[in-house]
Amino acid sequence: MTPLLRVEGLSKRFGGLHAVKNISFALDPGSVTGLLGPNGAGKTTVFNLLTGFLSFDTGSVEFDGRPLAGLPPHRIVNRGLARTFQLARPFQGMTVLENVEVACLAPRVNREGRPRQRARVLLDQVGLGNKADTVVDVLPYGDLRRLEIARALATRPRLLLLDEPFAGLGTSEIQPLADLISVLHQREGLAILIIEHKLRELMRLVRAVIAMDFGEVVAVGEPAMIVRHPRVVEAYIGKAELGQGDTDIARDPLGAA
Amino acid sequence: MLQILVYGAVISAIYAMLAVGFTLIFGVARILNLAHGSFYALGAYATYTFTQVLHLPLLFAAVLAVAGVAAFGIAVERVLVRPLRRSSLAVLLITLAVALMVEQVLLLSFGSEARNVPSVINATYHFAGVDISAQRIFALVAAVLVLIGLWVFMQQTRLGAAILAVSQDAEAAQYMGIPSDRIYSIVMGLSAGIAAAAGILVAPFQTVIPGMGLLPLVKAFAIVVVGGLGSIPGSIIGALLLGYSETIIAFKISIEWSQIVSVAAVLITLILRPAGFFGKRAAF
Amino acid sequence: MRGSSVDWLAAFLAAVALAAVPWLFANNYIVGVMTVALCFGIWAASWDFMSGLTGRENFGHSLFIGVGAYTAGFLNVNYGLSPWWSLVAAPGTAVLFSLIMGFPTLRLKGPYFALAMLSGAAVMQNLTIIFSVYTGGQDGLNGLDPILDSPLAYYYLTLLLMLAAVVILKLLANSSWGTILRAIRGDEASCQAAGINVTFYKIAALMISAAFAGLGGALYAHYQLQVGPDLFAIVLSINIIVMVYVGGLGSIYGPVGGAILLNVLTESLRAVSEYRLWVYTLILIFILFFMPQGLIAPLWRRVRGLLQ
Repeated sequence: MTPLLRVEGLSKRFGGLHAVKNISFALDPGSVTGLLGPNGAGKTTVFNLLTGFLSFDTGSVEFDGRPLAGLPPHRIVNRGLARTFQLARPFQGMTVLENVEVACLAPRVNREGRPRQRARVLLDQVGLGNKADTVVDVLPYGDLRRLEIARALATRPRLLLLDEPFAGLGTSEIQPLADLISVLHQREGLAILIIEHKLRELMRLVRAVIAMDFGEVVAVGEPAMIVRHPRVVEAYIGKAELGQGDTDIARDPLGAA
Repeated sequence: MLQILVYGAVISAIYAMLAVGFTLIFGVARILNLAHGSFYALGAYATYTFTQVLHLPLLFAAVLAVAGVAAFGIAVERVLVRPLRRSSLAVLLITLAVALMVEQVLLLSFGSEARNVPSVINATYHFAGVDISAQRIFALVAAVLVLIGLWVFMQQTRLGAAILAVSQDAEAAQYMGIPSDRIYSIVMGLSAGIAAAAGILVAPFQTVIPGMGLLPLVKAFAIVVVGGLGSIPGSIIGALLLGYSETIIAFKISIEWSQIVSVAAVLITLILRPAGFFGKRAAF
Repeated sequence: MRGSSVDWLAAFLAAVALAAVPWLFANNYIVGVMTVALCFGIWAASWDFMSGLTGRENFGHSLFIGVGAYTAGFLNVNYGLSPWWSLVAAPGTAVLFSLIMGFPTLRLKGPYFALAMLSGAAVMQNLTIIFSVYTGGQDGLNGLDPILDSPLAYYYLTLLLMLAAVVILKLLANSSWGTILRAIRGDEASCQAAGINVTFYKIAALMISAAFAGLGGALYAHYQLQVGPDLFAIVLSINIIVMVYVGGLGSIYGPVGGAILLNVLTESLRAVSEYRLWVYTLILIFILFFMPQGLIAPLWRRVRGLLQ
């Protein structure tokens, strides 16, 4: 199967800081992959590079066989690569329905017509159907997350980048959202790349994990393997403390609480 | 040639005073103070009133004028600007309102004919075939002294350090116990006082009319944009650039062309380097 | 915010009321004041379409007005063309200038964009004075022909064009165009992430805004029969912004009401003209402190709520 996304030698510097160093990986169509790493590892920077919000210094990104270099964000979205933001950024002053409607007006999907109708369907899919006419300014955080996902789905992406979808959510809100992501993946057949720190939920969702640290990829593999990988453990806990104390990673993140 | 050198220097020094005050209040409190020109005009008119109407001695009148305008600046900040701080557009418009009102009051009180403010020194020097009034030289020297004094104040005093802290990060400064709100008022007063001083220095050789503050405001604004909003060194360099460009163009081409320099500089700076050429960080 | 039948009915009644003005006040002076007020209405509505919807406040709207007016002046005075041509050419040149100014400045963040447009207008004002051979300098161009000779006919022409402008702009604002422009106001990055070409829509909105502003400029020029550098003045841009805020940002029709209200007010204070500036200033402060949503649009929304 030819990869949907092929990243090779991706690099980005901010002045003296080498935020992303020589990153390479590939994603297959329909795959669900996690992007792991401590804060500052460069994960969101990778997202920004892939989606055109930042330009990369060296390397290449190929999506669906075509290079993405130099394209502005809206063009990349219209090729089928959508993302959500770590901090939800709704269109203030507009209703939930209108927020999704905007994405339904993107050139990639605009010719389907009836943007309001499509927006309503999407809202139902993410469970926000009954809040369609609420102004986003008063929406609780969990709902804003769902709204972001609905907006990203509106452009019918083939690859969806989710940036910490569970951040800031209480335990009772995380599972429904994880289920939603799972259902959407199965129904729409889209590939998903998730940045997430909530390892338990992440490991249940994904089939492969890319682990990063200090801007580099340090390990790639299945969840069970990654959580025991020495470099990954070291990245989260630090060398000296390995073997001491109890941490989720060193034990069994797939299992009990 | 000598005329250009001296006139350019005088203009640059005055511009520098105005620009520094303007950039201070912006850099510290994020206020784009459209009433800055009003402080300049009020300085000139206050001196006129104190000397010609109340017959106070010139030096005393000048000091009183500066203090009075500074106090007015503080009042404007506390009463009109502070409640609107959440919206920068509202603050902008309220300072505009103040500028309009001041001009109206001056027009109603003094009429539209130019007023005469006496010179400190009434001599004229004759150098290399050119007449240069001593008042201009005095203005140049005084302006430079004020700027040096400001620099010393900012670098050497605790209040100056507090002001710099607030200009970098108001919230952090607050955590360190610096009362940001009070600093804003103080800086506004400082800015107003310097502008008033500029107005007093030029009053003997510039036309003193109610609308005299408009052009200086435009110039100060242009300088600050080019030099970098919030950067004092940027303002001084910008003032020199603008002062001399205007003087050279006015002498060599025409007055009309010299007036376009300031606004064209703003436009070009915003397109090429919005943060200004000498500033360290973007203001917005 | 979609147009309901109540809205259109109210708009129709307002149009009828404006049309009835010359009959109610059979007085050339009042008709003249209203003609100017309607020009301001076009300027205010066009500003609102761009800046009210996208939130990118344009402090140099007078650039488009002045360009439109001087185009009318050039064609009519310098080249002797019929004034009707101005109504086509003025929007055209204004759009051209909006492209020239828009491309380099729309990528700038809020206040920078406002300032860049403001300085653009100031540069034009200075250029107009410098190249006095072509533009008449400070005195401007005189002796323009009126488009129509009778003040009454001119009033109806202006009213017609103003109504057309408001209808077109309002329909655009209510369409998916408007949704996108308001989303740009909400968050530009999210708009990009939603697949929308933000730059295209911003420039398009500026062009549309400029076209109508230029049209108003030409109408005004052929009414006053002269053009001068004051048409580029910052004061004009600010006055229009005040009218928009009085009317209600983003409503398109509110600014027209604001324009009429403020023009009538300042004219009625002509007797005490020294205090006109005071009044404007006080209105400004009042709106800022107490009614940031404006006067006219919120009022209409309340009335509409009672009716439904």
